[in-house]
Amino acid sequence: MAIVKMSQFSLFAFDDHKEELLKHLQRFEYVHFSNLEEDKDLTSLGLKGVRTPEGLTEVEEQLTRINSCIETLSKYFVKETGLKAMKKGQDTYTFAELEEKSHQIDSNRLCIQVRDLWKEREGHKQAIDKLMVQIGELKPWKGISSPLKDLDSIRDTELFIGTVPRKLKEKVITDLSEVEGIYYEVVDEDKESLYLLVMSYGQDAEKTKELLRNSSFTKAILHGEGAPSEEITILEGKIALLQEQISEIDEKLKELAPSLEELKLMYDYLSNKKLRLASTENFVMTEKVNVIKGFIPSDKASDFEERIKEALGSVYYLELEEVDKDDPNVPILLKNSDFASTFESLTSMYALPQYNEVDPTPLLAPFYLIFFGMMAADVGYGLIMLIGSMFVLKNFNLKDNTRMFLKFFYYLSFSVIIWGFIYGSLFGGIITLPGIFDPAEDYNTLLILSIAFGLIHIYFALGIKAYKLIKSGKPRDALYDVGFWYMALTGSIVYLLNIVMTMPPILKTISLVVMVLGMLGIVATGGREAKSVAGRVGGGVYALYGISGYVGDFVSYSRLMALGLAGGFIAGAVNMMAGMVAQSGPIGFVFAIIIFIFGQTFNLGLSLLGAYVHTIRLTFVEFFGKFYEGGGKSFNTFKSKPKYINLK
Amino acid sequence: MSFTEFIVSQGGVFFGGLGVAVAVFLSGIGSAIGIGIVGQAASGLVIEEPEKFGRSLVLQLLPGTQGLYGFVIGLLVMGQLDIGMSLANGMYLFAACLPIGFVGWMSAIAQGKTAAAGIAILAKNEEHSTKGIIYAVMVETYALLAFVISLILVNAVSF
Repeated sequence: MAIVKMSQFSLFAFDDHKEELLKHLQRFEYVHFSNLEEDKDLTSLGLKGVRTPEGLTEVEEQLTRINSCIETLSKYFVKETGLKAMKKGQDTYTFAELEEKSHQIDSNRLCIQVRDLWKEREGHKQAIDKLMVQIGELKPWKGISSPLKDLDSIRDTELFIGTVPRKLKEKVITDLSEVEGIYYEVVDEDKESLYLLVMSYGQDAEKTKELLRNSSFTKAILHGEGAPSEEITILEGKIALLQEQISEIDEKLKELAPSLEELKLMYDYLSNKKLRLASTENFVMTEKVNVIKGFIPSDKASDFEERIKEALGSVYYLELEEVDKDDPNVPILLKNSDFASTFESLTSMYALPQYNEVDPTPLLAPFYLIFFGMMAADVGYGLIMLIGSMFVLKNFNLKDNTRMFLKFFYYLSFSVIIWGFIYGSLFGGIITLPGIFDPAEDYNTLLILSIAFGLIHIYFALGIKAYKLIKSGKPRDALYDVGFWYMALTGSIVYLLNIVMTMPPILKTISLVVMVLGMLGIVATGGREAKSVAGRVGGGVYALYGISGYVGDFVSYSRLMALGLAGGFIAGAVNMMAGMVAQSGPIGFVFAIIIFIFGQTFNLGLSLLGAYVHTIRLTFVEFFGKFYEGGGKSFNTFKSKPKYINLK
Repeated sequence: MSFTEFIVSQGGVFFGGLGVAVAVFLSGIGSAIGIGIVGQAASGLVIEEPEKFGRSLVLQLLPGTQGLYGFVIGLLVMGQLDIGMSLANGMYLFAACLPIGFVGWMSAIAQGKTAAAGIAILAKNEEHSTKGIIYAVMVETYALLAFVISLILVNAVSF
C-alpha cells in the first residue's frame, strides 16, 4: 500500500536473442529500462549504444500509413452509436492474440488500395470544382443564343464581349448608340456589372474600342465554341459523370470499411512493435552481447527470471539487487487499495513521490472524500452520481482510465449523499428533509466547522512531516519544524477562543505560555541553517512570520461552507422559478418541469466541477504544501498505450 | 415633503434594491467578460480539434461562478427588502453587496484570462489540462472570500 518496492536488474544477453527477449518482456510488461548510453561507467569501457534499431523507420512509416488509412475509412464506417456501442466498448486482446491476429492482416495492400482510391476521389473533386468555376463564368452570358464561334467569324466585324461597371450604364449606352456601324446588346446585369456584347463594323471598330476602354471595359474570356447555354449543359454533363465516378469510389470504400477493425488492431500491434524496437536505444553492447539495465517491482522478480529463462534458455547473465533508497532514478509505481487507488490520479497530477517518500494517496483520500461531499452536498445529486456511476460500471466495457474515474465518483457519491442529509438538502430543498444544519441559517456554525476541518487537515499534514523527519533520523528537526508550530498554533487558537468564549482562566494562562514558548522556539530554531548570528535571528523571525500563511490557510477552508451554500442557493433559486411558473396552469407546469430539469442539471454539473477542483486546491496548496516534495519519475510499463483496443 | 425627508422615509428600500442590483450586475458583467475571453480562445482550438470541445467547455465555465455568487447574494438581500425599512438598514444591505459585486467583477475577468491561457495547455498537452483548471481556480478563491463576507454581512446585523 504505497510505493511499490523496486529491484534493479542487469542483464547480459546475446544480440541475436534480443528480439525474442523483448517480446517476452513485453508480455511481462512491468519492466522499466534505464538509458545506459548516459552511463559513463559503461561507455568508458568501450561499450557502444545500439545504433538506431533497424526496422524502426519502416514501422513508423507503416504506422503513419495506417493512421491516414484509418482516418479515410472512418468516414465511411457507420459506427454503432448510443448505449449499445458504449456497452460493447473496445475489444480486449492479450499480447499473444494480438500478435497472431496481426500476422493474418495484409495492411499494406489495403492501405495502398485505400490511398489510391482516395487520391482518385480527390482528383475528381478538384476537376468538379474547376468545371463549376467555368460554369460560373459562362452563366451571365446565357442570353447569347448563337454559338460563339459563329459570332467571331462574321467578316469585317470585330466582336467585344465583356463587362463594364454598372454605374457607367447610362454613359456607355448613350455613347454606343451614337456610333453608326454597331450592334450592341446588354446580355445581363447584376449588382456590379453590365454584361455587354458589342459588334462593330469596319472603321467604326477602332472608335468602339476607344469608347469601351474609356468606360473601363473588361474583356471576358469565354471557353468553348458553342452558345454559352449549350456549353453549360456540356459542362454539367461532365460534372454529373465525375460525380457518378465519385459515388462509385465511395461504394468501393464503403465495402472496404469493415476492414477498419483489422487496421486498428494492426495499428496497436505496430505501436507496440515500435516501442520494442525503440527500447533497444536504451541498451549498450559489445560486439555480440547486449547490456540491459532497468527496474522491476521486487515482488515480480521470480516471474521476471522465469520469463527470461523462457526467452533465452540458459545463455544469459542476470543480476538482481535492491535499489538504493535515495537514488532519484528509481521509477515510481503506486499500488493502493481499491478505494485509495482511485485517488492516484490526483497524486500524479501534482507530482509522483520520490522513492524515499511516503505515498500521499491514502492520506489525502479520506479528506478529499469529506471535503468533496461538503461542497456538493445534496442527496439528489449524490443519488444521481451513485446510480449513474454504478450503472455504467456494471454494464459498460470501459477503458482503464475511464473506469478509475467513474469509481472515483462512485466513492465520492456516498459522501455527497451523507452531507446532503446533514444539510437536509434534496435537489435544493424540493422535499424538506430534517437536516442537522440548515446552511442558510447556521452558516456561522458551518464556517466554524469548515475551519475546524481545515485545522485537522493542516495538523495532520504537519504530523506527516514530523513522521517523515523522525523516520529519516532527524527527531530534533521534527521538534523544531513541527513541534513548535503545533505549540504556537494551538496556543494562539485557544488563547483567541478565550476572548470570545468564557473559559477557566487557568486555560488562558496555559495557552498563553504554550503559545509564547512555541513562538520563541520558532524564532530560536527557524534560522538554524544560517551561518551568522544575524542570519539566524533574521531567519527565525522570518519563520515566525510564516504564521500569517497559516491564517491564510485556515481562511481558505471557508470555501467548504461557501461552495456548499452557493450550490444549495442556486438549486433553491431554480426550484423557486419552477414553482412560480408552475402556478400558471398546465402549460406552466410543463415549463416548470423543463426549468427544473435543465436548471438542476446545470447546477449539478457546476457543483461537481466546483467541488472537484476546489478540493484539489485544498489538497495541493494547503495539504501538500506542508510536507510533500514529490518529483519522482513514473514507472513506464513496457507496453504502448493501445488506442483502439484493450490490451491485457 | 422635502428631498431629505423622502430619502429618509423611502431611501431604505431604494438602497437595498441598489445593493441587489450592484451584486448582480457587477459580478454578472465580470463573468460575462471572463466567459467571453475563454470562449474566444476556445473557438480557435475547436477549429482544429473539435473533439476537445467538452474539456474546453469546462475551462470556459470557470469564470461563470462569480455571476452566480452575485446572484445568490442578490437573492438573499431581495428576501430582506421591505417597503418600510429604515435608511440605515437599506444602506447596510447595500454595503453588504459591495464585496461580491466588485471582487466578482474583477476576479471573473482575471480568471477568464487565466482560463484562456489554460486553453493553450489543452491544445498542446491535453493530459495536463486539469492543471490549467487549477490555475484558474486559484483566482476564484478571492471571489469565494468576498462571497463569504457578503453572505455574513447580509445576515449578521438585524435591524
